[in-house]
Amino acid sequence: MTCRIDIDFRPGEGAVLRLIGLVERRGFVVRAMNLPETRAGASARLTLDVAPRDAGRRVETVCAQLAKMYEVVAVNSAQPRALEAAS
Amino acid sequence: MLTAAAPPPPHDTDPKSSARPGAPLVVEALAREGVDYVFGYPGGAIMPVYDALPGSRLKHVLVRHEQAAALAADAYGRVSGEPGVCLATSGPGATNLITGIANAFMDSVPMVAITGQVGTSLMGTDAFQEIDVFGVTLPIVKHSFIARSADEIPQIFAEAFALAKGGRPGPVLIDLPKDVTQASGPFPPSGPVPAPAGYAPPDAASMRAAEAMLRAARRPVLYFGGGIAIARAEAALRDFHDRTRIPAVATLKGLGGLPTEREDFLGMLGMHGTRAANTAVMESDLLICVGARFDDRATGKLDTFAPGAQVIHIDGDASEISKLRRANVALPGDIAAILTALDPGRLDIAAWRARCTQNAADWAFRYDAPGAGVYAPALLNELSRQAGDRFIATCDVGQHQMWVAQHCRFSRPQAHLTSAGLGAMGYGIPAGIGALFAEPDATVVTVTGDGSIMMNIQELATLRRYGLPLKIVLLDNAQLGMVRQWQELFYEQNFSEVDLYDNPDFAEVARAFGIEAFTVDRRDDVPGAIDRLLKTRGPILAHVRIDPAENVWPLVPPGKSNSDMMEAS
Ligand SMILES: Cc1ncc(C[n+]2csc(CCOP(=O)(O)OP(=O)(O)O)c2C)c(N)n1
Ligand SMILES: [Mg+2]
Repeated sequence: MTCRIDIDFRPGEGAVLRLIGLVERRGFVVRAMNLPETRAGASARLTLDVAPRDAGRRVETVCAQLAKMYEVVAVNSAQPRALEAAS
Repeated sequence: MLTAAAPPPPHDTDPKSSARPGAPLVVEALAREGVDYVFGYPGGAIMPVYDALPGSRLKHVLVRHEQAAALAADAYGRVSGEPGVCLATSGPGATNLITGIANAFMDSVPMVAITGQVGTSLMGTDAFQEIDVFGVTLPIVKHSFIARSADEIPQIFAEAFALAKGGRPGPVLIDLPKDVTQASGPFPPSGPVPAPAGYAPPDAASMRAAEAMLRAARRPVLYFGGGIAIARAEAALRDFHDRTRIPAVATLKGLGGLPTEREDFLGMLGMHGTRAANTAVMESDLLICVGARFDDRATGKLDTFAPGAQVIHIDGDASEISKLRRANVALPGDIAAILTALDPGRLDIAAWRARCTQNAADWAFRYDAPGAGVYAPALLNELSRQAGDRFIATCDVGQHQMWVAQHCRFSRPQAHLTSAGLGAMGYGIPAGIGALFAEPDATVVTVTGDGSIMMNIQELATLRRYGLPLKIVLLDNAQLGMVRQWQELFYEQNFSEVDLYDNPDFAEVARAFGIEAFTVDRRDDVPGAIDRLLKTRGPILAHVRIDPAENVWPLVPPGKSNSDMMEAS
């Protein structure tokens, strides 16, 4: 079951690595991602389609973990069902 | 507790003093944060910063291995509540810090780790002593910075300190390329520091729901962890416990939140928890989890943990709530404020309290083991009692660590410094050093093992150098005892690489470092040994030889339920 996570963040040094690294470490596979051009000073948006590695992984938890990172401005996740319907 | 960081005073903009290399900016930034001590070790890439140290208000503590710098900074952070600071050069200096940074990350300790780096133009070229410490530490820091120019230094330091101690604390890394600390020029003042978002007041409906659940519960258990120490919430916890008298259990990091001897406190839960604590949790109908995270060492097999209980989860970090166990009521926020506001009124738990208290009495630890040899649990129990409220234990990892947790008396959370999440052998002596710098008049005792002490034994030289009155109790079973215990119980006594028969004479080793030392073999000699430890003014090591076959009981086998506790046969 894939879930889409939108992360709005300040694109400081290492920010993208930090975000993707956290998602992978916390038990998700990154299936697809999108990062439009970032501009210094402006907030950027990273969109990840992720799938849990096992049944114990909740997307709400990884979103809460992302949300408390220093560069992160906002995190939103699409309901898995909505994503399946769209794809 | 989360408080908005005060804006730093504007950086000195006097034109005469503003044209200077970056390194003094580092020293100034540390001084501006109120840093007194920096634990460190010099080397090539960090030399500009060391060049700027003499004459500053900072006191540098020269350790003998960078791992000890990070671990000492960790203990300093735990005791003082302010970020401990460690400093190392690039490459091997930086990699040697990593265990200590990981330790601070796992146990949510405020720390700022500063590393030198090769010059920016050499970064990414495999230059001499170049390691991408920023990349290596990404999974174990709360945040990290690379200063790309000297004028960023004041701002980076201000943000790093605010981040390290704000919200759920943790380590923050600052990597300083050498050209940046050597650059000179007129530097702008630091700007405002983004203040960490304060906690919203607890949701009123959730508070009422929690109070209703407390009133309805007949077998509630208060399960608290390291979040109490982090939030400095022990007064609020004690007050809540006074009002409710709910039978309480602590995690390894929660110990000291309630004083050990307190009525209705059942001790530690989990793998080496007390039978009374694990039984209460198993039988409970409501868990009030405060600043704890359902760690596997505490819960055993998660799906059989407190199987009949609803859960109220109070935590300073919202992302911990429902991570491993679904909470029926979630109360993220300021732990102390929530505990103070939570007022369920009279609870109907007299029969339950009586049952828990009786269990605690029936299953209390006994200290009358047969034989003439030293019984380590009895020694630790007595030592901690005699040391009193100023006692701080710092532990290494192994059986001796669990005996400290089970048998010592703790008056406050800061009385027990242990590598809980990481379980890093080598923590004990560096942590003793950090604790003594943070609280010089505490009675700091490092309890170590014959395996663990060898991981940072070089720090005896640091004790000697600074005359630190650390009291070291080395429990020598000539074994990697905890591993031996598991091999005995779970690997059919196939003892593999755990016999340390060839240990050095530890008392001689200590003396060679200039540290007073003595050896204890007999139980009769324990009272005199405790007396000597507590009366000696300088550093001292008691080398205590104990039975190699001794085990830690009770024990929940790995992967089993807490109800499957094993006892000494
Ligand atoms: C750095 C590190 N390496 C290995 C381990 C695994 N380990 C856990 S306890 C232990 C034995 C510790 O021996 P000792 O310090 O003598 O303590 P004892 O159990 O004998 O009291 C080992 C090897 C660890 N926790 N940390
Ligand atoms: Mg040992």
